[in-house]
Amino acid sequence: MTDEQIMEAVKTGDLQQASMLFDRYHKRLFNFLARMAMDRELAEDLTQNVFLRMIKYRNSYREGAKFQSWIYQVARNVFSDHYQTIKNRKSDFVDVEKIGDRMAESDETSMMDEQERLLHRSMALLSEEQRELLVLTRYQQMKYEEVATIMDTTVANIKVKVHRAIAKLREHYFELEKI
Amino acid sequence: MEKEKLEGLIIDYIDGRLSEEEKASLEKELANNADAYQLYEQTREVMQAMDRSAKLEPSFKLKKNFDQILKEEIAQQKPTKVVSMYPTLYRAAAAVFLVLSGVAIGYWINKNQQREAEMLALQQQMQEMREIMISKLGNQESASQRMIAVSQVMEMEKPDDEIVKVLVKTMNEDVNTNVRMAALDALSKFHQDPLVRRELIKSLAKQKDPVVQIALIQLMVQMKEKGVVNDLQKIVDDNKSMKAVKDEAYTGLLRLS
Repeated sequence: MTDEQIMEAVKTGDLQQASMLFDRYHKRLFNFLARMAMDRELAEDLTQNVFLRMIKYRNSYREGAKFQSWIYQVARNVFSDHYQTIKNRKSDFVDVEKIGDRMAESDETSMMDEQERLLHRSMALLSEEQRELLVLTRYQQMKYEEVATIMDTTVANIKVKVHRAIAKLREHYFELEKI
Repeated sequence: MEKEKLEGLIIDYIDGRLSEEEKASLEKELANNADAYQLYEQTREVMQAMDRSAKLEPSFKLKKNFDQILKEEIAQQKPTKVVSMYPTLYRAAAAVFLVLSGVAIGYWINKNQQREAEMLALQQQMQEMREIMISKLGNQESASQRMIAVSQVMEMEKPDDEIVKVLVKTMNEDVNTNVRMAALDALSKFHQDPLVRRELIKSLAKQKDPVVQIALIQLMVQMKEKGVVNDLQKIVDDNKSMKAVKDEAYTGLLRLS
């Protein structure tokens, strides 16, 4: 069954099917949110919220729409709502120094090599939009077309922005490397 | 070549998106221009780093919690499911109900039916929102859920007593400082309401979290609430109060008395 067929079933009331969509998407969405929030525990919480919204607002899924684009739009909303809510209250939006701790599980810490650590820190210095573009296109290997649908813009626009984001990341990366 | 354009070409080159012609021209540039070659090397390194980056694994808790949520949703859905299986019948029943209630309201009240219906819908909406909010506030597993619930209250024009009570409880007892602060923020929006005002004043004497204490004192000053002078004095005299809290209480005292 395609994702879309399953979502249609969920929409018409067969909620049990939602667990199939959870199985297919939770790791991807968790990775997306963990890379965005740079905090694993929070990312689990947010991933949970994405699926909760998927069930609660199942009627907002339009027939024929690509499920992947829709669920990522939900995930983006969950992420931005979270930061809207706590905006102004949390000064260390992303604390670059602590990223290693929040991202890695204890037994993985030693395995995280220098290059990856440097990459995390450089990612944290990007704007939220740039980080999002790189997470989607590079980490999640999504096509520009799909990202354009999710962000509701043109492919050309995405391409230009991704190029700029990579350039910015490269700058931060080699600046941090010097330190 | 302009740097931004060169970088764009390098990225597309690494991704294998260039035409043969573009590829040949870029390769020539890389061979002849040391800066361009360095740019290529660096870009390739960060792109490879991203592509190689390890996938993160969520904990088992995520699946467990989802199964629980799904179970609850399915349980909640049961009574309405029967109705939704017969949409036509449901619509017909709803239409009959609307007509009948319209007539009844018109008959009994002899006033604008539409306004009545709107009010009913509004009340129902409030009721639903309230239930969702209260259940979210009770979600001990997720601070962000409780946070969302509090922010929903902020959007209300005027909360009812039950919501005020839940908010006060959250402000006084929630384990998370951010959630407690958010509850205080929401309450302060409605400080004109006598119940909210009373509860805020009561909380000042009970509150132990310094961050919330300071925010409360500031609010009292803003509300020009002279009734808390004694409580402020107690905070100033209490050896256990934090210095920042004492200072704030002292400033408050000066401004209120």
